[in-house]
Amino acid sequence: MNEIARVSDFDVKDYLRLNLMPHFMCPGCGHGIALRSLLWAVHELGIDRNKLAVVCGIGCSGRTGAYIDANTFHTTHGRPLAFATGLKLARPDLTVVVITGDGDCLAIGGNHLIHACRRNLDITCLMLNNEIYGMTGGQVSPTTSATRVTSTTPAGNTEPTFDACKLADAAGASFVGREVTRQAPALKNLIRAAIEHDGFSFVEVMSDCTEIYGRKNELGESAEMILSQKSDMVPDGLGNAPDQPFRPNRMATGILARHARPEYGRTYRERSAELRAGTEG
Amino acid sequence: MTGMERTEIRLAGSGGQGLILGMQILFRALGLEGKRAAQSQSYEPTSRGGYCYSDLILASDPSDYPLVTGLDMIAALSQVGIDRSLPFIKPGALVIVDERLVETPPTGPFKLHVLPLSQRAAAIGSPRIANIIALGALARLSGVCGKDSLETAVCLETPPKFAELNIAAVRAGFAIERLAPAG
Amino acid sequence: MSSSLHSLQGNKACALAAIAAGCRFFAGYPITPSSEIAEQMSRDLPRVDGVFVQMEDEIASLAAVIGASLGGSKAMTATSGPGFSLMQENLGFAAMTEVPCVIINVMRGGPSTGMPTKPAQGDIMQARWGTHGDHPIIVVAPASVQEVYAETIRAFNLSERFRVPVVVLYDQIIAHLIETVELPPKGSIHTVERKWASGTEEGFKPYAETDDLVPVMARPGDGHRLHVTGLTHTEDGFPTQKPDLAAHALNRILDKIERNRAEIDKVEQIETKDAGTVIVAVGIAARAARRAVQMLRSEGIRAGLVRPVTLWPFPDEALRAATANARAVLVPEMNAGQLIHEVQRVVGGSAKVAGLNRVDGEPIPPAAIAQKVRELVADE
Repeated sequence: MNEIARVSDFDVKDYLRLNLMPHFMCPGCGHGIALRSLLWAVHELGIDRNKLAVVCGIGCSGRTGAYIDANTFHTTHGRPLAFATGLKLARPDLTVVVITGDGDCLAIGGNHLIHACRRNLDITCLMLNNEIYGMTGGQVSPTTSATRVTSTTPAGNTEPTFDACKLADAAGASFVGREVTRQAPALKNLIRAAIEHDGFSFVEVMSDCTEIYGRKNELGESAEMILSQKSDMVPDGLGNAPDQPFRPNRMATGILARHARPEYGRTYRERSAELRAGTEG
Repeated sequence: MTGMERTEIRLAGSGGQGLILGMQILFRALGLEGKRAAQSQSYEPTSRGGYCYSDLILASDPSDYPLVTGLDMIAALSQVGIDRSLPFIKPGALVIVDERLVETPPTGPFKLHVLPLSQRAAAIGSPRIANIIALGALARLSGVCGKDSLETAVCLETPPKFAELNIAAVRAGFAIERLAPAG
Repeated sequence: MSSSLHSLQGNKACALAAIAAGCRFFAGYPITPSSEIAEQMSRDLPRVDGVFVQMEDEIASLAAVIGASLGGSKAMTATSGPGFSLMQENLGFAAMTEVPCVIINVMRGGPSTGMPTKPAQGDIMQARWGTHGDHPIIVVAPASVQEVYAETIRAFNLSERFRVPVVVLYDQIIAHLIETVELPPKGSIHTVERKWASGTEEGFKPYAETDDLVPVMARPGDGHRLHVTGLTHTEDGFPTQKPDLAAHALNRILDKIERNRAEIDKVEQIETKDAGTVIVAVGIAARAARRAVQMLRSEGIRAGLVRPVTLWPFPDEALRAATANARAVLVPEMNAGQLIHEVQRVVGGSAKVAGLNRVDGEPIPPAAIAQKVRELVADE
């Protein structure tokens, strides 16, 4: 009952910069669902928008932040986690959410991702995975499925992909999860748990690029692509096999890993306070 | 030249001999006497035992060139230390070399003192204090700084547990007559 | 309280000055010959409730610095050539988004890995033009440990005042030189805080044009919920590609520096009044030139020195005035010829401009500069 009350209570327009509409995303793009799910989670958690900082990188994912009526930072390609690290360390009172993409986070920003996971600062990282560099015209990314045609893999992709969640888990992220845009309430719940988690949270959002990726690979219209998310979420790893319809690997969803590890910022501040007390005493 | 006063001092030898620390101590001693200086040292990936030096420039103009142009005094604790410094030694300079560690003392138009610095260090208690003895001798022969300030500085710049040993080293250096090699 | 004398290493003086200037955030990555700054900051920042973080690379270091500055902290990083190269993209971001930050670049032999432990002055042009696109930047070039202290404080003040990245540029010799430094008494140091919005202003525009062209900055959490982007943006902070707005946006951040030159420029001149030969130099080369001037004057040669302390923007007017009666200008620099291009541009044909260059990792000694001046005088 309470759940329903909260749902009806949530109006995404309350959290958007409506003066920027119409937005920039292509029709059918999954990023809008991801954005809505994030704002829904923010609403449910009762986070003060003045205290919410959203840090984005470059690409389609990077452009989503501007629409949020909060403190939004559109930084450089691949670096939002590094910017967010400085911001969160300087301002632990802010809720810091990073929105990044598969290229932004796993290619050019891969180094920052693994070190952000290792450091375990209280940042929530949403990686919107649409398997493509959409903004630049549809080039292959580190998560493009096998055999897919992109503007730089005219004969079909032959590069193996990253499993971003396994990568984040291995690098030490204390919260790892994955969800599909098809399941907006589940995605909202996952993001909510990620923000609530005390430490670095990594959430992979399986999003769809209909216009560039879908069209080129004849994956259907938006509705078909989003429906295919269900069949693509295969229960067990078949590898990045060419006979798979769309998604490359075992795509388990939900909370995939959660570890209790000391949150870096608080640990640093505690040690510093001890140091100061020692100096004074 | 203008009337600007300038004195250039070098400790030369090998890595691990405490030359940079030695110069820090002299810097501190001069500071206690109200003098300003600039210290520089060799800075490169050398292994222990490689050529090493530390320089101090005492100048009346605090913005004067802070690096060596011509040495007024040098104490060398190794052959490579004196050999590599030779081109920078001014005529008439004070040159102190260790009797044992510098097998071939340099020749030239300068005031050479061959002293048993390292032997004296070993006799006092540690070969590691040859740098301090060299400083004492340098100060005594040049008058660049007083014994009291050097003793105070050595205590300020080194751990308290070595204070006694280091003060003994300063005094040994100042007692230059007794340092002079026999025969 | 009066000032006190200390023997301080250049890099240590830099760190102490940063803390004194109000720096409360440092992010960096180890690199010779700048690492002592990071080490010192890691010890000192926790004691003043600040934050030190060692990042995964120099790209992340400057990103974190900008992030902290956006959050409201005075922030800096320190590096050397290879790391400075990696920082260029985010340096442009700071210039574009007008986020105050200080970058210490201790120059070593280059290009590439070059000579990590040897001094050079090869980053003079990179410090001005390293990032892509036209951009505002201030570069200060201290020549002594005392000046490293003073200029690091001034770098923070300029950065906060004009919301622009400021580079403190010095070489490995100055970095590791230990000199007697007069430290000002606590509380006597002039520090500048950026103009903050209260958070309650109606219709606040984060990049609105002000009288001095420096916009008022809003701090997250204070009430204004703003967008910051490296994209060309309008006064309200959102992207634009409209030609008139785009041109206005870029011209304002460039004019912000040009129109406030009186607050930014700083040049030291020695014996230039009657100088027939003017030497233009920075850093350790300027220390050698200073001595060379004294040597030459004692021989009756009318030499003088112009030393840009604010290196960028380049002191055109001061140099033009100082060389008005000069027949020759000498530019000694530890590179293959960088500063000389600016000098030639300013002096034009009014005097012969010669270079004295050294790229072997060794400083240019005073005697070499004096000799070159004698040759120039003899040629007249």
